[in-house]
Order: sequence, then C-alpha cells, then structure tokens
Amino acid sequence: MPEYEGIVKMLRFFVQTKNLGYVDRIGNALNPGPVEVTLHEALRAFRSIRENATVGEDGRRYVEKDGEKIPVPGIPSEDEVRAFLDAVRSDIGVAKRVATLALAYPSRKEGGDE
Amino acid sequence: MFLSVGVRFEANVEALNMVETAGNYSKHRRVPYLVEEDGKLKTVYVPALSGENLAHAYQEHLAREALSLNLPVCDDCRRGEFYKSMNRVHLEKKVSPIPGEPAKIEEAIVKACVVEDVGGFLYAENPPVRRSSAFQVSYALPVKSMALFATSEPQLHARHAQMDSSSKKGNASEQMIYYVEIGTALYGFTFNLDLDAIGVSAITSEPILDENEIKARRDAAVKALFRMLSSAQFGAKLSRFFPVGGIKEVAVAVTEHPFVVTSPIYDDYILKTERRLKVLKDFGEDYLFTAATEDRVPEEALKETVEYLKQKGAL
Repeated sequence: MPEYEGIVKMLRFFVQTKNLGYVDRIGNALNPGPVEVTLHEALRAFRSIRENATVGEDGRRYVEKDGEKIPVPGIPSEDEVRAFLDAVRSDIGVAKRVATLALAYPSRKEGGDE
Repeated sequence: MFLSVGVRFEANVEALNMVETAGNYSKHRRVPYLVEEDGKLKTVYVPALSGENLAHAYQEHLAREALSLNLPVCDDCRRGEFYKSMNRVHLEKKVSPIPGEPAKIEEAIVKACVVEDVGGFLYAENPPVRRSSAFQVSYALPVKSMALFATSEPQLHARHAQMDSSSKKGNASEQMIYYVEIGTALYGFTFNLDLDAIGVSAITSEPILDENEIKARRDAAVKALFRMLSSAQFGAKLSRFFPVGGIKEVAVAVTEHPFVVTSPIYDDYILKTERRLKVLKDFGEDYLFTAATEDRVPEEALKETVEYLKQKGAL
C-alpha cells in the first residue's frame, strides 16, 4: 500500500518506540470513528515528538530510546491522510492492513527526516 | 458482608489520569464510549480514570489508616510502592526463610501487611501464590446522559529557566512551552469491598488472623474508602490540577453476600439499585441501602454505613 506509506512509517515509529497503542487501536477498529480519532491523536503526538527530536549531523531527526537511536520519519501529508480516511470509510479493512504493515519489519532501510 | 458503593463526582479541569508524554504533550486517558444520539448508537472518546489509578489511591489511604490503627503494613506498601511480594526479593523482607507451601506463604504475607491482605498479591515464583483483591474498582467514566458534553482539552503552559552564559543559547531566559490535556466531566465509578475476604485464606478459606484483628482490618479498609472519597485524594497532578468540583452523589449497599450497586453512569442508578435490593429481601437477605444526593452530604451516608456494619458486628 504505497499510497499510505507516510502513515505506515509514522505508526511504525510508534511501534519502534514501544508505543503500540495507536497501531492497536487502528488495527482493531470496528468502524471508521475510532480510526479517525486515533489518527488525530497519533498525528498530534507525533508532531510533538518530531519537534522535540534531536537533529543529527546528517540533518535527520531521531529520538533515543533505551540507548538506541530511532529515526523520526516525516509527517504524513494532508492528501495522504485524507485519502486514507476516505478509504477507511468505504472499507474498514484498509485500517487493519495499514496497521499490519506498520507492525511488520520494513522491507528496506528507512531514513529519518524526509 | 459485602459493601458496594456507587460514586458520582464532578471534576472540572482535572489531570487525574495522564497516560503518556509525547514530546511536550501530556495526554489524558481516554476511552471509547457507546452513546445514543437521535436514536442511533455511536462511539465517542471520553476522558476517563482507570481502575488502577483509583485502586492505587485507595491502597495509599489503606496503608495510612492501617498504620494509624497500629496494624502491620510492609515497608514497600508504606511508601506507596505496591510490589505486593511479587518475587523472592520482596517477600524475603517479610519472611525469611520463605516457606515452601502456598498456604504458608499466603499466611506470612497476610500477617505482615494489611494492604496485601485487602488488595491481594501475586507471588510469581515457585510455588506461585495468588490472592485476589478483596476490593474491586471500576474505571471512572462520564455519566451516560452527559457523556457528549465531557471534554478533554490541552492547556498551554510555559516553563522558564535562566540559561547561564556557557550555554550555546547565551544568557537569555529560556522558555519552553508544554501542553497538559485536561478532562472535564461528571464521572461515575463503582467500588466494592468484600469484608468476608479480609484476614481469611484464599486457599483454605480458613481465618488467618484472630477475630479482633480481622475486625480492625475491616475498619481500616472502610475508613480508607471514606477518607479517599471525603478528601478527594485520588488521581495524579493534584498539586496543580486539583479538580474543581467534588463528590456529588454516593449510593451505598451493604449486603450479606455479593451485590453490586447499579453503575452510577446511569441516571436512575439509585432507583434501580433499590428495586434490585427489594427483590433480594424477598429471598430473606437483610441489607442496608443509603444514598446521598442533593439534600444530604456523602459523609452522612458513609457514617450510616459504618454504624450499620458495627451493629451487624462486622467492625
């Protein structure tokens, strides 16, 4: 699902920081309402984390957790979020697939700031 | 005897249960809630307090009340760190050498600490020993009829720090903004206390302590609840977000056997509880039901409960 890659990366960041609340709520949602609320909360939290993240020498943002540097990806675009929410409204299964991808190991090495 | 209490409290601008901090944003606990609007059901997310949050406060009060009655409380529980004899390291502080049989382990823990007697514990070693809590507490949730008016909103605050000249940013005053999400709602929660479980083995069902000590521990358990409600000392961030409002209603049922008051999230909970109790009376079971609403303060209902328990010989 490359069209929702930004959202998957953001949720994956939360998974890497051992905060599984957002991905669980999106993946387990039975109707679009909880997905919308959770995505709003996740974006709000992610924005705060990103603004407070350390900027490395390469210009990429990261946070440190348990001695490990975790890159902070970019904020999903408005178009992507809108398309995702529209898709979820017509098929709730889209939310589960996005959450499942976020829990999976990334297929290629991801950078920080994008 | 089984005590069940339904509590309604108004809390405006509270931060009683924060769940995580993301960057400079600290979030209030929220839960999905089913409400009816225009004949249709919908899910809304409302501010809430977890049962763990309320249970922690109750156990802190219990430790204090027990100590004031010269009852034993272990060092961990005195500090409000409820490890509850979870492993050998913590249990050895109470009993050494550790007995080999589960019933003996339970006996040693119950004798050494009122909080673990009333609040239960899980000794996760070999052999594992589990004691269920004699008290139960629900989440505190906005009452159904007003759930849609409940809000959680971030409030902006600023922290100032004088930077010294060696700082990269110079010696200008540094300002850091942060957000604390506050909740506002009329909350309801249920608290149950099984007085028959206090001082009695969960393994053998035999009393571990003598009758006087059991009564004294029940007394501490009831007083702790009343102190918690009366003082509104529960939840976090009280130092700067002490909730504006207070306990609005209390409904207490004391029965011979387990009976739980109808949840105070429903507007007719007092009426429903009374009707349910009347049916119970047809089965020959005695009970006390008392409530404090507009014309009565909660402490009056709580006092009546204590007197009834004393009259029944439970305290």
